Amino acid sequence: MIIWPILSAIGRTLWLPGADGVSRFSLETYVFFFSDQYSINNLMVTLWTTGVCALLLLPICLPIALYLRFAKGRLAAYVQGLAIFPMFVPSIILSYAIIRVLGPNGTVDLLFNSVGLPKIRSPYLTPWGPVIGLVWDNIPLTVLILLSGLGAVSDQSVEAARDVGARRWAVLWHIILPRITNSILVAISFTVLGIFSAFTLPYVLGPAAPEMMGPFMQRTFRDLNDPTNAITQAVISFAFCIVFGLFYVRSVAKNRKT
Amino acid sequence: MIKARTDWTGLFFAAALTVVIVFPLLIVGTWAFTNVWRYPSVIPQEFGLKYWAATTARADVWTSITMSLSLASVVTLLSAVICLPAAFAFARLEFPGRNILFFSFLAGQAFPKFGLLVAIAGIFLNLNLIGTFWGVILIQLVGTLLFMIWIPVAAFQSVDRRMEEAARDVGASPLRVFWSITMPQAGPTIAAAVLLNFVGTFYETEGAWLIGAPGIRTLPVLMISFINNQPVIQYGAVLSVLLWLPSFIALLFARRIIGSGSFARGFGG
Amino acid sequence: MAVLDIKDVTKIFGGTVAVERFNLTVADGELVCLLGPSGSGKSTLLRMIGGFETATSGVIAIDGEDVTRVPPERRPTGMVFQSHALWTHMNVFKNLAFGLKLRRLPPAEIKDRVEAVLEQVGLAGYGQRQTHQLSGGQQQRVALARSLVLEPKILLLDEPFASLDQHLRERLREEVRDLQQRLKITTLFVTHGQDEALALADRIVVLRAGRSEQIDPPDVVYRAPATPFVAGFIGTMNLIDGVVEGGVFRHPGLDLAMPVADGPATLAVRPEALGIAAATSAAAVIHRVTDYGTHAIVDIDLADGLRLKAMAPDARAWAAGTAVALSPQAFAVYRDNVAIHRAGA
Repeated sequence: MIIWPILSAIGRTLWLPGADGVSRFSLETYVFFFSDQYSINNLMVTLWTTGVCALLLLPICLPIALYLRFAKGRLAAYVQGLAIFPMFVPSIILSYAIIRVLGPNGTVDLLFNSVGLPKIRSPYLTPWGPVIGLVWDNIPLTVLILLSGLGAVSDQSVEAARDVGARRWAVLWHIILPRITNSILVAISFTVLGIFSAFTLPYVLGPAAPEMMGPFMQRTFRDLNDPTNAITQAVISFAFCIVFGLFYVRSVAKNRKT
Repeated sequence: MIKARTDWTGLFFAAALTVVIVFPLLIVGTWAFTNVWRYPSVIPQEFGLKYWAATTARADVWTSITMSLSLASVVTLLSAVICLPAAFAFARLEFPGRNILFFSFLAGQAFPKFGLLVAIAGIFLNLNLIGTFWGVILIQLVGTLLFMIWIPVAAFQSVDRRMEEAARDVGASPLRVFWSITMPQAGPTIAAAVLLNFVGTFYETEGAWLIGAPGIRTLPVLMISFINNQPVIQYGAVLSVLLWLPSFIALLFARRIIGSGSFARGFGG
Repeated sequence: MAVLDIKDVTKIFGGTVAVERFNLTVADGELVCLLGPSGSGKSTLLRMIGGFETATSGVIAIDGEDVTRVPPERRPTGMVFQSHALWTHMNVFKNLAFGLKLRRLPPAEIKDRVEAVLEQVGLAGYGQRQTHQLSGGQQQRVALARSLVLEPKILLLDEPFASLDQHLRERLREEVRDLQQRLKITTLFVTHGQDEALALADRIVVLRAGRSEQIDPPDVVYRAPATPFVAGFIGTMNLIDGVVEGGVFRHPGLDLAMPVADGPATLAVRPEALGIAAATSAAAVIHRVTDYGTHAIVDIDLADGLRLKAMAPDARAWAAGTAVALSPQAFAVYRDNVAIHRAGA
């Protein structure tokens, strides 16, 4: 169900049907992809978005997860509820909300205008649009994964570190971070895989050119009616994700065995 | 009386998340109940339900709602029929090829989903499944398989073996143990998984568009076209509120398992 | 009312032998404890009797009927698990009634029987409670009641009190003993605590690495342990390795005449049977005296570093650093894992 499409995808992009109907081995779709400036720009913007999102997500989610791990009470429950909430907001509604708030003449513009500030430069239809959307969308899972990693850090081990004189930052750096490295990597892998294949948010919020791989593949497949090149693009995005993918699978498998 | 120390960090997170997460959605909600809201007024000039009537009067809205609901129902049903027995087998039985099967399921997560969808779409093109109802069913099914095996496996595994043995001990047959002990214990988690699966399918956009367009038009696909081509903002806002309803129901039911951690473990956390 | 017969039972998991050629007959109404360290095969044995594991070879019979391959739901056994294993989605009443319902008893009778058994375990009126509302001891009582309500021929208890604290454990132990004697139910009780076995059992089976080392009443197991392992496992025992030469057991600091052929031997002496007297030679020196009020335990270091324990009536008579002479009053001598001589007792 999963391996077969991938193998078939690789096969179909390497053995192209010739004019006489006989398949021949060829790298030309890949050569085309990497010689086409437009395709390369699309790949670059995808990599850029993925990197920026991952970089933004960690500093946002780690403090939240840390807070949730050690805080108790109603306020913490409220924060947790909010942090998980985006999971229940379909990305299409999110896109719409972002347009309404940050788009031209959106709510932020309205508020700025009413206090006499100039309009913002809207991120809508720029590469920052998808970044904001994707970060928003990925907060819940990142927080949950980090939180589950933090669950493995026992209260006693933190207290023991405090007992021998470690300050807050030392506890974080020497006790907590080493224990959750794996969770952090899983969270990053998950984000990378998710963002590389993101479609709705970049399609609706992002610029028309360069576009991210998701919309690019979709447009090549549907609008240009060129499945071979679309599949080539898919295989290339597989290749870029394989490291994260393998890492993710490995850690899930390890997790299950123990 | 000792006053509790104010939790400034918590207040900060609560405030920040409220602004970032709740605020944009409130704006959409406001738009849905607005008749007139012209720039640069901070609040709408006229509230009302005018556009609810207008939106629900549109034929394309209704056909896409029916389409989305029937797609999500069929996919959820099929995936439950396929996945739940498989999950039970994974959790409880040893059989040859178990690990290979398991890793092939896992491998699906190692690839970006959209790329996978494109690869599958490439195959469907040859099978003439593009633009058909069953083509969309199949591609959405692929997306749900993992989820529907993953969480139930964890749910079955978390049922204490000794509870089942105790039931055998008092005279219950293996089948009876499954119905009276294993299912009730794993039930809430599995029910939540099924529900999330239904909602997830309902909102699934990529596969539906890639395979279904233009014949099959689900609610999210309609929404995209509203965003791109519809000058009347309220249509999109009303549709958003409609679209969000299933998610809201899921939210009410699924809160428990998502908070409980077994869900995050399912994702490898 | 039942007799349990275990004949030549062996259980092999993968390549490892968990239970090897085990034989035991439990008489009607008898309470037998399976005692051994973890990994000795005692739980595996119990699970084979309950039907949760199948013996690789051998026969298990209840009242003469071979049940070796009968699944657990069709065996007349009732098992109480270590972790109580109550069904958390049912309340107490439903937990107890489940087995009776499977037997299609009329609801009125189910109600009567559940109430009667709750009364017996001291939980009358707890039927409508949820299991998580009960304390650890109450949960274990419900688990016991769940087995008893079906009036099993054989009651199996797998370290049922291991997760409870000392005090509660002792109380429940008494209750189980009383209940068992009142109901006259044939019972097997797995434990790794020797005091539990000594307090409860009509007979104790001492297991080691899947084999039985000794099957005897508690007083015999304590006073005449069959092997050095049993001697060391039950109660406190001084085990001294030495050599017998010309009818004298020799170990640095301790010589003892005994009618035993020459060769290596292990001397086993209980602290209460090890007499001490003030002496001048420095071969045995008091290391520490611990006062327990009713008696004292004197730790003695031999010249080669071996530490022995002796019981003395009065702590004030002894001081650390004093040299002593040792005189075992009752002892056993082992060679090649069997007792070859006993004296005193």
